Amino acid sequence: MKPETLLRRPQTNRKLTTGCKILDGCLRGGIPCDSLTEIVAESGCGKTQLCLQLSLSAQLPISLGGLNGSSLYLHSEFPFPFRRLHQLSRSFHQSNPSIYANHSDNPCDHVFVQNVHSVDHLFDIMPRIDGFIKNSGNRLPLKLIVLDSVAALFRSEFDNTPSDLRKRSSLFFKISGKLKQLANKFGLAVVITNQVTDLVETSDGLSGLRIGNLRYLCSSGRRVVPALGLAWANCVNSRFFISRSDETICKERSENDESGSIYVSRRAQRRFDIVFSPYLPASSCEFMITREGICGVQA
Amino acid sequence: MEAWRLALSSSIRGKLISAGYTSLSSISSVSSSDLARDANITEDEAFEILKLANQSSGSNSCNGNRSLINGAKNAWDMLHEEESLPRITTSCSDLDNILGGGISCRDVTEIGGVPGIGKTQIGIQLSVNVQIPREFGGLGGKAIYIDTEGSFMVERALQIAEACVEDMEEYTGYMHKHFKANQVQMKPKDILENIFYFRVCSYTEQIALVNHLDKFISENKDVKVVIVDSITFHFRQDFDDLVQRTRVLSEMALKFMKLAKKFSLAVVLLNQVTTKYTEGSFQLALALGDSWSHSCTNRVILYWNGDERYAYIDKSPSLPSASASYTVTSRGLRNSSSSSKRVKMM
Repeated sequence: MKPETLLRRPQTNRKLTTGCKILDGCLRGGIPCDSLTEIVAESGCGKTQLCLQLSLSAQLPISLGGLNGSSLYLHSEFPFPFRRLHQLSRSFHQSNPSIYANHSDNPCDHVFVQNVHSVDHLFDIMPRIDGFIKNSGNRLPLKLIVLDSVAALFRSEFDNTPSDLRKRSSLFFKISGKLKQLANKFGLAVVITNQVTDLVETSDGLSGLRIGNLRYLCSSGRRVVPALGLAWANCVNSRFFISRSDETICKERSENDESGSIYVSRRAQRRFDIVFSPYLPASSCEFMITREGICGVQA
Repeated sequence: MEAWRLALSSSIRGKLISAGYTSLSSISSVSSSDLARDANITEDEAFEILKLANQSSGSNSCNGNRSLINGAKNAWDMLHEEESLPRITTSCSDLDNILGGGISCRDVTEIGGVPGIGKTQIGIQLSVNVQIPREFGGLGGKAIYIDTEGSFMVERALQIAEACVEDMEEYTGYMHKHFKANQVQMKPKDILENIFYFRVCSYTEQIALVNHLDKFISENKDVKVVIVDSITFHFRQDFDDLVQRTRVLSEMALKFMKLAKKFSLAVVLLNQVTTKYTEGSFQLALALGDSWSHSCTNRVILYWNGDERYAYIDKSPSLPSASASYTVTSRGLRNSSSSSKRVKMM
């Protein structure tokens, strides 16, 4: 058994750009490889948008912050947003003409979508991923795995009894262990999304247990906690939280309007927070979701 | 070492050797009354001989690396040894204070806490701080970092190493004002080179590595700290037979204890927390169960108190229960800057 020489590793882990400079600034480059990153958010906050965007930016060359690889999108929630992926892919192709030699090259060709309907199904798929990566052949090597979302896999199958919870916990560690093994072996970036549940204060106070930099997580004006509890929190390397607040209005001046009047649109501002990470200081930034994708807002 | 080198009168020396005590190890493993009887000398003389023998063998060995075959030591010697053992600083003086100066060598220390509290940060800080040269009050040793979770980031270790070198340079500049500030020989790259990093992806790999450590450390004697981050991760999945898990874990704990004592190094095991169902309610506890809690000499629990991170000495044979706050900065672990009372004695 030989130890790894730290000096031979690159001084910074390879990072996958999110496609937005401000978000990348928060993340010191982007989502790290060889690491499990969790994105926690309420439904409709933008985690799927961010994941779709990451699946596309994985195809960028390394010099532009990509991984020069394809992505595997495992989705457990229906339906998979194919239309949105195509929309993003069109604007991605337009903004990166140098990468796609042919006009007919479709970035969607490098995003592999697989539906996962249960935990057992996920365990069935994992060994196939190994083979999938090794037999890459002509296509871009797999560099990103997205699991959207892990909570949906566990929502229905387990009761609230201690023995079921224990079974559930050991499944968390099994999933996390296998994904980390894949990430380490092939240098993949792994992004997992998670849902939130409303906080119901119990007498032991454990549901409101503070994990990470934020005293409490708030979204849409109410306190929430990430789903799957403390056991799952131990399984991921980094956790990021996306929240939305309905109060913010951003004004948009419509340039096409001949009368020159200001067109006010109500667009919910999203906030991106770092809950915990092995190398990032606590920070946050704000962003919006536009037709082109996620777009950071200068504070 | 030979017995005839001892500073004794020739008659007593002659009696010793004719009784068969030719080497120091044979003398120190015997009691004074037995020695007196065998060599036909008085008990006082025997006692003097034993004292001399112990003193000589003490000055020959290095860094307290005494073989345990040298016979029973008395508690006074052990206290002297313990006090002279260096401790690894955590770079946070409040934390060092409640730890009695830092993480002690020859002990297994378990540090546990919720995700995001700073366990990996403490691990990285210790693997850098163990390398602080002796001139600066450190151990000048190397570190073994066993990563089971993939949380170790080289860029973070480099950041902490750079801060450590800067602090040392500042210290030299402060202490020796006529010297240039950069008298420090160490560079951050050297610090990274002295961390032996192992990535472990399954519990079988973990067990194999722990078994291999004895041989590895024998070949790399300047390793002074072994950090496992975290000890728990691979053991929380799929162990249907909990009895087997307990057995495997206690074997591993025993190996770590032996390593710590044999090579006089510090073993730091980072652990996760879990909820335990006791007395009808859920409570927070360190993972791996009750039987594991006996396996470590010292236990430190990290927790949040308001917006501050705190460390609490949960179990220690020599330290009083106390808690202290710390922060994680870009330069590593430091004292927290709040002006309120930072160290609380229980």
